[in-house]
Amino acid sequence: MKAIRVQHTGGPEVLELAEIPVPQPKPPEALVKVNVAGVNSIDGHFRDGSFRAHLPFVPGQEGAGVVTAVGTQVKALKVGDRVAWSGTLGSYAEYVAAPEEHLVPVPAAISDEQATAAMMHGLTAHYLVNDAHKLKAGETALVHAAAGGVGLLVVQMAHAIGARVIGTASSAEKARLAREAGADEVIVYTEQDFEPEVKRLTGGKGVEVVYDGVGKATFEKNLNVMKLRGMLVIYGMSSGPVPPVDPAKLSEKGSLYMARTTLAHFTATREELVARTSALFGMIAEGKLKVRIAKKYPLADAPQAHRDMEAHKVAGKLLLVP
Amino acid sequence: MKAIQIKQPGGPEAMELAELPVSEPKANEAVVKLAASGVNFIDVYQREGRYKVALPFVLGQEGAGTVTAVGGDVKLVKAGDRVAWTGVLGAYAEYAAVPEDRLVPIPAGVTDQQAAAALLQGMTAHYLSHSTYPLKRGETALVHAAAGGVGLLLVQMAHSIGARVIATVSTEEKAKLAREAGADDVILYTQADFEAETKRLTGGKGVDVVYDSVGKTTFEKGLNILRPRGMMALYGGSSGAVPPFDLIVLSQKGSLFVTRPTLGHYTLTRDELMARAGAVFGMMAAGKLKLRIEHKYPLAEAQQAHRDLEGRKTTGKLLLVVSRES
Repeated sequence: MKAIRVQHTGGPEVLELAEIPVPQPKPPEALVKVNVAGVNSIDGHFRDGSFRAHLPFVPGQEGAGVVTAVGTQVKALKVGDRVAWSGTLGSYAEYVAAPEEHLVPVPAAISDEQATAAMMHGLTAHYLVNDAHKLKAGETALVHAAAGGVGLLVVQMAHAIGARVIGTASSAEKARLAREAGADEVIVYTEQDFEPEVKRLTGGKGVEVVYDGVGKATFEKNLNVMKLRGMLVIYGMSSGPVPPVDPAKLSEKGSLYMARTTLAHFTATREELVARTSALFGMIAEGKLKVRIAKKYPLADAPQAHRDMEAHKVAGKLLLVP
Repeated sequence: MKAIQIKQPGGPEAMELAELPVSEPKANEAVVKLAASGVNFIDVYQREGRYKVALPFVLGQEGAGTVTAVGGDVKLVKAGDRVAWTGVLGAYAEYAAVPEDRLVPIPAGVTDQQAAAALLQGMTAHYLSHSTYPLKRGETALVHAAAGGVGLLLVQMAHSIGARVIATVSTEEKAKLAREAGADDVILYTQADFEAETKRLTGGKGVDVVYDSVGKTTFEKGLNILRPRGMMALYGGSSGAVPPFDLIVLSQKGSLFVTRPTLGHYTLTRDELMARAGAVFGMMAAGKLKLRIEHKYPLAEAQQAHRDLEGRKTTGKLLLVVSRES
C-alpha cells in the first residue's frame, strides 16, 4: 500500500511517499481502509521530533474509512462498518490498523470528511465549551485563533449556547469567517491590540473565559482581560510555550483559574469518547455545526499540506485523501 | 481609647499599647466599640512590613462589637447593632471606624467573640468549599494543615457536604482534632509521605481537589495526587511562596486546573459578603460548625499573642478580648 513514511525527523520534506505492506490487525484491532486522513499540528510535532515516535513511522493521528478486516478479539465492529478515529499513529496511509476502542461508528448522514473534522478539532471544541469551562448563556468568551480548525467550531458551539463570543483573527478574511460562525465581535490582532479592545468591548469588565490555543504570545494579556474568578483554558501553544508562571499572579489579577488541557484526558474512557462523538455527529447532521474543509491534498502532497498548516494561512480543516 | 499601634515595622515588640483619640466616623462609616478582635497571620505580615501599610497604623483585620455612632450617609446599620467585619485595618483597638458596607450583622445565637473568631477563617473555608471548587457528595478532598484555623473549619464543611476528607497534620494531637472535625483519613506528614499515602488511600485514583495553604513544600506533590481534570486551590503559602512553574506539568499530570484565590475576591460585593457571612453564622448558630478558640488575651498582651501564633504551636483561634460582650 501507499503511505507517508518518516525515516528521520525534520521539515516537511521528510514526509516521503513509500510503498509498504498493509498492516496486519492484532487481536484487539481492526484494519481500516482510510478514505480521508486529517492533518493536525501534532503531526508536525512528530515529524520534527518534538514529540517522539520510533523511527521509521507513518504519521497521522486521525481519519475516517471502512473496516476491511478484524482481529480475533474485536467484539462490536465488523467488515464494512464506517468508522472514524483519533489518537492512532499511522493514518497517512491507505490502510491503518487501529484498536477497536479508538474507533467510533459514523452515521450515514455524516460524510468521511465531516467525520474526520469532528475528531481532534471537534472533540477539542466540545470539551472546551462543555467541560474545561462549562459555558453558559449570557457569559462572554474570548476565542483566540477563531478562524482556525478548533476556533471555528468553538465559536459555533459557544454561540449556540447563547454566550457572547469575542474572537481574534489575523486577517480581515478570517474575521469574516469567524463572524459567519457566530462571533459577535472579531478583533484583527495584526491591526489592533486585543487587550484594550476586549476591555472596551466588555465595558472594562472582562470575559468569563479565554479559550487559548496560541500560548506564549497571548498569555500575559489574557490575564488582563478576564473577569474576577475567570478561567483561562490553554489547549495549545502554536506561538511557543508559555514561560513558567508565578501562581501569585493569579491572585493579583483577581483569583483567576488556569488550566493546560489535552484531548486525551477528556476522552479517557470509551463512554466519554462515544458520548462526545455522538453529540458532534448529531450537531453536524442537524446542520447546527458546520465543518469547513480548507483544502484536500492527495497523499503524495503531504509535505505541502504541512507547509500550508505551518504558515497559519488556512482557515478550517486540512485533509489528505489516500 | 487604647489601641495597638505600629510606628516602625518589626518583631512582636513593635506593637505598642497607645492612647489614641476615638475615631470619628466618615459619612459612610460606623464606629464600633469592639468586644474582641481576631489574630491572623496577615497581622504578622503587616507588623513585619512584609505587607506594606502607611505608618503609623493600628493593627488588626477582624473584629466584632456594637455600633456606637454612624456617619451621615449610613443606612445599613444603626447604634446598638451587633456587627462583625474583616478586611478593614484597625481592629486591635477599643473602637474602630468601618465602612458600613463591610459590616455584617451578628445573629442571636452567636457571641461577639465567636463572630470575631469565625469571620475571616469561616468565610475562607466557605468560599473554598462552596465557590472556588464547589465540593459535591461523594467527592474526595485533600485538606492540608487540617488542624489549623481554616483547616478545621474546612474539614467540617467538607464533611457536612458528604465529601470524603483526607487531612494532613504534623502531630498526633492535631490528627485527633482533624478526626473530631470529620476527617475520614489523617496523614501525619512528619511520619509518612502524603503523596504515597494519598495514592494508597484513593486506590491510585487521586483526589478531586487539593486545598493548600502551605505552598512551597506541598504544591508539586499536590499536583501528583489530583485525579485527571482535578483542581489545585492554592490559598496560602505558610511554608513560602510556590516558585514559578511550567504549565506543561498541568497537561502531563492530567489536564489539571490551578487557582490562587483570596478572600477579598470572594466577598467583593455586599450581596456576596452578606450571603457568605450569613451562611457561616447560620452554621454556627445551628451548632453545625464548631469553633476552637484556643486562647484569649487582653489587648495589652497582643505581643504574646503574636509570639504564640508565630510559634505555630496553636491549633485554634487566638483572640484579643477588648471589652466585655454586650
